[in-house]
Amino acid sequence: MKNDKVIRILLADDHPLTRAGIAEFLRREPSLDLIAEAEDGEKAWDLIQDMNPDVALLDIRMPGLDGVSVAQKVKAANLPTSLIMLTSYDAQQYVIASLRAGAKGFVLKTVSPKDLTAAINTVSKGGLYLDPEVASAIAEDDFIPEPLSVREREVLLLAAKGLSSKEVAKKLFISERTVQTHLASIYDKLGSRNKTEALLLALKYGVVTLEELLEDDE
Amino acid sequence: MPPKIFRILRSHFLIILLCLLVLPPVAVVFFAVAGMVNQENAMEAAVSSYVQDLAESMAYHLSSDDDSWDLPLLGDVSKYPFFSWGPSIPGWVALIGRGGNVIIASPGAVNIANIWRDDLPVGEAIKIVGKDGKEYTLAIYPLKKSHGYVIAAVSWSQLLGGLVIISRMWPLSVVVITIGSFIAIRLLWSMLIIPLQNLVDEINNLQSGNDTANKNFKNAVKEIDSVHNALLRFSEATVERDNLRNKYVRDIVQAQEKERMDMAREIHDGPLQEVTALVQQIHMTLEDDEKSRPARIKRTEIIARSVVRELRSLCDELAPPWMDLGLTEAITEITDRLSQVYDINITADFNDEAQELEIDNEIILSLLRIIQEAISNATRHGQASEINIKLTKNNDLVKLDINDNGEGFDANNISMENLRIGGHRGLASMTERMNLIGGNLKIESGVNNNNKGTHITAEFKI
Repeated sequence: MKNDKVIRILLADDHPLTRAGIAEFLRREPSLDLIAEAEDGEKAWDLIQDMNPDVALLDIRMPGLDGVSVAQKVKAANLPTSLIMLTSYDAQQYVIASLRAGAKGFVLKTVSPKDLTAAINTVSKGGLYLDPEVASAIAEDDFIPEPLSVREREVLLLAAKGLSSKEVAKKLFISERTVQTHLASIYDKLGSRNKTEALLLALKYGVVTLEELLEDDE
Repeated sequence: MPPKIFRILRSHFLIILLCLLVLPPVAVVFFAVAGMVNQENAMEAAVSSYVQDLAESMAYHLSSDDDSWDLPLLGDVSKYPFFSWGPSIPGWVALIGRGGNVIIASPGAVNIANIWRDDLPVGEAIKIVGKDGKEYTLAIYPLKKSHGYVIAAVSWSQLLGGLVIISRMWPLSVVVITIGSFIAIRLLWSMLIIPLQNLVDEINNLQSGNDTANKNFKNAVKEIDSVHNALLRFSEATVERDNLRNKYVRDIVQAQEKERMDMAREIHDGPLQEVTALVQQIHMTLEDDEKSRPARIKRTEIIARSVVRELRSLCDELAPPWMDLGLTEAITEITDRLSQVYDINITADFNDEAQELEIDNEIILSLLRIIQEAISNATRHGQASEINIKLTKNNDLVKLDINDNGEGFDANNISMENLRIGGHRGLASMTERMNLIGGNLKIESGVNNNNKGTHITAEFKI
């Protein structure tokens, strides 16, 4: 039923110019409703609690509470608001950190209005949206990756958790060399150059799910 | 000496030393023993022939007067002074009857029974050991008409007593000398050679700047010990110096990293956000209708100008271009700018000599940084509203005074070390900058005195 409704949005960004730019677009889009703006993390957290927006767009870097911390609070409080990180940083580690913190989307501030709308729509329906620029250098839209084996999925998830090849090997009772062979095969199948990129691409292509990534955290 | 001998001496020093110390005593022992054996043999021969002659001549004398001899002995003993004061060398003579009874004997004659044996040969000298354990050489000669025997004897212990003891002491004392030499070598080895070798090993293995010398250096003689102590002090000093240098390098690296992070933050918060806003405006322009487009473009231009301004000020901050104008102009420029930035009153005065000052850009930059830092501290920490800067030059002395009316701080309680560690490099780097150009920096500040605020004086000579 959410699909038919206008999506209620909160925008948190400490920089007035970029906030104004995005706010202007959100206001113009009839399917979206910008219900509140925050210029720092504390205020964003208060507004999310008070107003329960459908989607919150959070800048990662804000004075006081940063966007990732706000996302963690929302996740911990089990609030229904879906979170999209809206940032100037394109570091893939930030993407991972944001996703672990509970964000469902990661969008650069230079995003086009069309893509931002798509991101908000996807996330409000419970989907995952990653900015094309974050993993796009190698990703092609019509690329269908070769499926990963069960073992490869395990290796990828553990490696994405931050474990070294040695630790992964120990955990799965296989040799370090085997882990590296698996990783090489994973990179090859997904067309990635490193672990983080492999995980992002795997998420993007639906090879692994966000739930699996978060599960790993525990 | 030719160098080759030196080389051999150096590399085989210990063996040569040992030989030099041991060989002479061994030679002395050898020759002493040989000499003693020879001497004993000679003495024996001399003594044998002496007692033989003595006994023979006594027997001859006594036999020629045989007629007056009868038993019991009736002769005039005084005719034979021998018997009254004995032979000229240590020994004795005695006239013995057939039955072995002593008829007459010279003084010093021992108890004949002690040395008498039935198998003693007659007419021939013999060396025997008496029942008292002493050695004698004796000779027995019979009187003509078998009235008895003359016995002449020399006691070895009497004759050679002192000589034997001394000559037997010789090897003994040489042995003592040898043992002493060994002990000396042993001490030399353990207290000199081994410690020296240890010291050399230690110096070889010492990684300059990382290791200090072993503190438990024992058993060495005082001289080596003091060399070792010098090594210890030296190594500790090197370690300390290296630590200081590492700390300094770490400081510099940290300061560099901090500067980069500050720079990244400024770019992120300033130009990057504004260019992002520009991109957003361009996105919106595409969606605008004809009517609203001019206003959008105007807004976009305003943002673009703002980016230019941000970047320009960033560049100014990184490397002030107006430095090339000269010191007084640069100071005026920076104070004008900063008084606008912080919205406070900053004045800059120069004396006539200072107006004509011409110095390197490097020094100008240092002074500008000090002024920047001082103004920043005064406004951010001291809440100053007024800052006076005065540059004076008197002959070769240039003096920069910076006074503010802020709250000041307790300058006595702030150590440069703590500031540095705490990442507050401002004051420390002001001082360092002055030190680098050969000047010095004085900071006076007080929270309690009437003269509130901070007074910074930088002085250097040109």
